[in-house]
Amino acid sequence: MSQLLTPGKLIIRITLALGVLLVVMLACSMVGSEKVSLNAVFSRLGDETTTNPDYEIFVRVRLPRIILACLVGAALACSGVVFQALLRNPLADPYILGISSGAGLGAMIAVISGLNWTLWGRSPIAVFAFIGALGTVWLVWLIGRLTGKYYVTGLLLAGVVVNAFFSALIMFLTSITKAEHVQSTIFWLMGNMTEEDFLVLWIGTGCVVGGMIALFFISPQLNALSFGPEVARSMGVNTGKVRILAFAIAAGITAIAVSLSGLVGFVGLVVPHGVRLVLGPDHRQLLPISGIMGAIFLVAADTLARTIITPAQLPVGVVTSIVGGPFFLVLLVKYSRKVSWLQ
Amino acid sequence: MSSIIKIDNLSFGYTSNDMVLEGVSFNVETGIFLAIAGPNGAGKSTLLNLISGTLKSQSGTIRIDDTSIGSYSPRKLAEKVAVVRQEHAPIFGFSVIETVMMARIPYYGSAGFERQVDRDIVNEALELTDTTHFASRPITSLSSGERQRVFIARALAQNSPVLLLDEPTNFLDPKHQVNIFDLLKAAQREKGKTIVAVTHDINLAAQYCDQALLLGTGGSFKSGGVQKVLSTEQIKNTFQVDFFAGAIGTEQFFIPLGKFAKYSTQSKDSPEKM
Repeated sequence: MSQLLTPGKLIIRITLALGVLLVVMLACSMVGSEKVSLNAVFSRLGDETTTNPDYEIFVRVRLPRIILACLVGAALACSGVVFQALLRNPLADPYILGISSGAGLGAMIAVISGLNWTLWGRSPIAVFAFIGALGTVWLVWLIGRLTGKYYVTGLLLAGVVVNAFFSALIMFLTSITKAEHVQSTIFWLMGNMTEEDFLVLWIGTGCVVGGMIALFFISPQLNALSFGPEVARSMGVNTGKVRILAFAIAAGITAIAVSLSGLVGFVGLVVPHGVRLVLGPDHRQLLPISGIMGAIFLVAADTLARTIITPAQLPVGVVTSIVGGPFFLVLLVKYSRKVSWLQ
Repeated sequence: MSSIIKIDNLSFGYTSNDMVLEGVSFNVETGIFLAIAGPNGAGKSTLLNLISGTLKSQSGTIRIDDTSIGSYSPRKLAEKVAVVRQEHAPIFGFSVIETVMMARIPYYGSAGFERQVDRDIVNEALELTDTTHFASRPITSLSSGERQRVFIARALAQNSPVLLLDEPTNFLDPKHQVNIFDLLKAAQREKGKTIVAVTHDINLAAQYCDQALLLGTGGSFKSGGVQKVLSTEQIKNTFQVDFFAGAIGTEQFFIPLGKFAKYSTQSKDSPEKM
């Protein structure tokens, strides 16, 4: 029975992964156009902060951005895991049910209407993107329900069609608005990290970590659901409850990620597959490890994005795809004999 | 004998004016092996989905252990009834033992892990289905016969008194077909399970089952002992094709004879000219 996951193994692996995450976070906070030394940051803690530039850069610029990358990476990777299991589709990513176009449309509307206020420190773009993302998933879910109780094909098709419809609306709005508006929206759509308020970060972190913990508690049921809802139900899983809960949490944390950083691609697709290839498909392990790996991946990618062409910055979405693609292909070839859906 | 499943006046249609099952009534006695046979479209799988709670009937009642099926929670129902369906190919490579362990999910501790008793039950199910020696292989690497045994092991690991199977020998060669029926018979004898299997194979049903339910198209049905239900007359009428009937001991066996079969009783002219 040694091949079964035990709590001991799981705790060791999560601890190791968290250790790597901490090291990566620390290392990445040292990298940038300005040299920062940790000694200098902490040696003069008592001083007025304005007299300590190292502290200023570390705490007000680097740290918030790294925490944001962790948050977004973890949220996207976890929701990728959930969508792949619930839709029984290895190609599913967090955006598959229309979140991307819904958020994009929300952002576009916010830009065009020229709104100029903030809600808890968030710009209208972020707020509208959040509403657009959740509203679209809800719409797709409703349409999917109409096609039948158990059929994911209906849900997937509804997602694809709503995505196409909203993308067309975005293009329509793009062609009737001024060029500078378009530029800022496109940059946002590519996925972009900025320095956020700590308040926003803590709220976001609370929601994402809370969501991940809730998902962990339904992860055995997700294992069963990946065999299909009828099979899971006859094994005694309350499929209706578990499915709605998992969908809602995955959509919620994705919407949070999208409203904080735009559409960062690739993390939600590649990280779950990478972890599954190496450690296997058990969701009790796949969810937490994917979350941590997603955070590591995005922190590293964002560090590249802000340093590779200094003083300018790349949208992080560009880096995740350029770096993530080849990395994933190497994993794929190396481990493919172990994996099921490739055979 | 008491009856663990009691079905009374059950009707079901996917649309309101096209009923698949009409007024079906029968009881399944505890500990028997029942075959549900009949032509395509007669509602065999529909009936199985009704008994497993996947579909809800328009009228009539299904009682399991004298409790209406509608009043069971998914977990309580899974304690009574385990189902082996015709599954799609699995998409993720769970190992055999991980797959069988999923039957124990409703009993996991609060941290989401199995207990020792779950491990013992799973080991026993693996042994009974002779799947222990490939327990660590991913199910996606198994042949369809091996995979079917794993799904039966998972159903056994639910430790339920009733086992429902939807065409468990589909796509299997003769050796693996008898292999599956031997396994089911062993579960009936050694574990006292009540087994209800939808099958196209009336010959295997005659060899292994105690009772049969023969569903015809248009809502007709016959139930009772295998020898009584699977008679030459009824088989011919229900499947609407000619059969050669022989006997091994007291059990009848049937070979369907189409128009161009060598020993067909119908007139045939075209194959000779070809």
